[in-house]
Amino acid sequence: MEEDRVFSSVHSTVFKESESLEGKCEKIEGYDFNQGVNYPKLLRSMLTTGFQASNLGEAIDVVNQMLEWRLSDETTVPEDCNEEEKNQTYRESVKCKIFLGFTSNLVSSGVRDTIRYLVQHHMVDVIVTTTGGVEEDLIKCLAPTFKGDFSLPGAYLRSKGLNRIGNLLVPNDNYCKFEDWIIPIFDEMLKEQKEENVLWTPSKLLARLGKEINNESSYLYWAYKMNIPVFCPGLTDGSLGDMLYFHSFRTSGLVIDVVQDIRAMNGEAVHANPRKTGMIILGGGLPKHHICNANMMRNGADYAVFINTGQEFDGSDSGARPDEAVSWGKIRGSAKTVKVYCDATIAFPLLVAETFASKREQNREHKT
Amino acid sequence: MSDEEHHFESSDAGASKTYPQQAGNIRKGGHIVIKGRPCKVVEVSTSKTGKHGHAKCHFVAIDIFTSKKLEDIVPSSHNCDVPHVNRVDYQLIDISEDGFVSLLTDNGSTKDDLRLPTDEALLTQLKSGFEEGKDIVVSVMSAMGEEQMCALKEVSPK
Repeated sequence: MEEDRVFSSVHSTVFKESESLEGKCEKIEGYDFNQGVNYPKLLRSMLTTGFQASNLGEAIDVVNQMLEWRLSDETTVPEDCNEEEKNQTYRESVKCKIFLGFTSNLVSSGVRDTIRYLVQHHMVDVIVTTTGGVEEDLIKCLAPTFKGDFSLPGAYLRSKGLNRIGNLLVPNDNYCKFEDWIIPIFDEMLKEQKEENVLWTPSKLLARLGKEINNESSYLYWAYKMNIPVFCPGLTDGSLGDMLYFHSFRTSGLVIDVVQDIRAMNGEAVHANPRKTGMIILGGGLPKHHICNANMMRNGADYAVFINTGQEFDGSDSGARPDEAVSWGKIRGSAKTVKVYCDATIAFPLLVAETFASKREQNREHKT
Repeated sequence: MSDEEHHFESSDAGASKTYPQQAGNIRKGGHIVIKGRPCKVVEVSTSKTGKHGHAKCHFVAIDIFTSKKLEDIVPSSHNCDVPHVNRVDYQLIDISEDGFVSLLTDNGSTKDDLRLPTDEALLTQLKSGFEEGKDIVVSVMSAMGEEQMCALKEVSPK
């Protein structure tokens, strides 16, 4: 009898009855290649594959929600809104405002071309990046970046005039071409500042550079054409900053006003209403914080997708999860958020394939 | 008369006042024109071609007339203007009340358009030496249309 009792108590410890998850949670199921190599189905299967594949699947969902939301989805119409906002047709036309942020290494990579696609078709409303994120795009129009290897020795590369960005290589000569291209433009801008009283800001400078590069492979060019502001508050921290430094010796006096730009950037968030706002942020650092901070001014974004490899254990903002931003009021408590722990060179093109690009393709099919 | 402010177009150097030299060839101790001022180079550092573009020479120089420190950064393949700097010695004849000196030139005529030096030590030495009746030879440095007394020697009469 004693043995039976011991046995049944051990039995119930090891085989502790579990709560049934049936109907509450998704079942894990990967893609079955017996279906053939069907890429859209493969990407859709990520949601139920687990780990970061599931996070990517959720990110795809959140971005699609960003793209599909209309003001007419909000059934409660606030009393104090104006006549236009009560109009149904108008409400069906109001979409989510999307902030896109990315770090410069991604522009050095092929993700630049994915970004260019989004800007070319006006699929995002505001861009924030670092200085490298601007100059790498412009330089690619003057000379290409090459694939190298992480293990190439630094001293050897220096002797050959090659700069390494991860496993990419940018020859020094590319930056020389950039210098030759940009200095005359700064001269022009200084002239306009003196003669026409133009007060330049980083975003105005970038619009001008987009106009001057006049090359369809550049996202800055399309941002200029589509009137999408590109904010870069850290404008001096890169080769472009070096050019400003040198230019100031030759012909000094060019002024670039960051105060105007912070008004404009925060204004994009503050005056977004009645639109919802969504953030898609690749990488950490300045672009991540700048976009989140602007959205704090409107009590938080409604959607957030972070794709980065940062970790939160060191307390850095770069590694912080969306929930940390919620504590600051940068993201709403009710917001739909996802962080995908993945290198954006893998995750972002796949995400765009299942969201922006597939929707555009669907729309084109409907029209033909 | 010596203009601190500059409205300087880079192509304004007169034919005999300056000559062009590649920035990479200008050494410490040499001369260079920065913002229209003739300067003596006290420091040169070169940054190799890199992310900042072409190789560059960073010059720190002292204005030879005002002793102000000036800086410039120039691509090393660029041409810079180098001032012709001349030093001529003259015998001091007189110090006038309105701040000019009278000097004896080589060919026996007088040169009266040189101002007293602004440097305190030099000025004191000049005035006291002249008052004591000593024979004084002054060195006059000239560059780019400007001149200034830069040194003096007391000559013992033989």
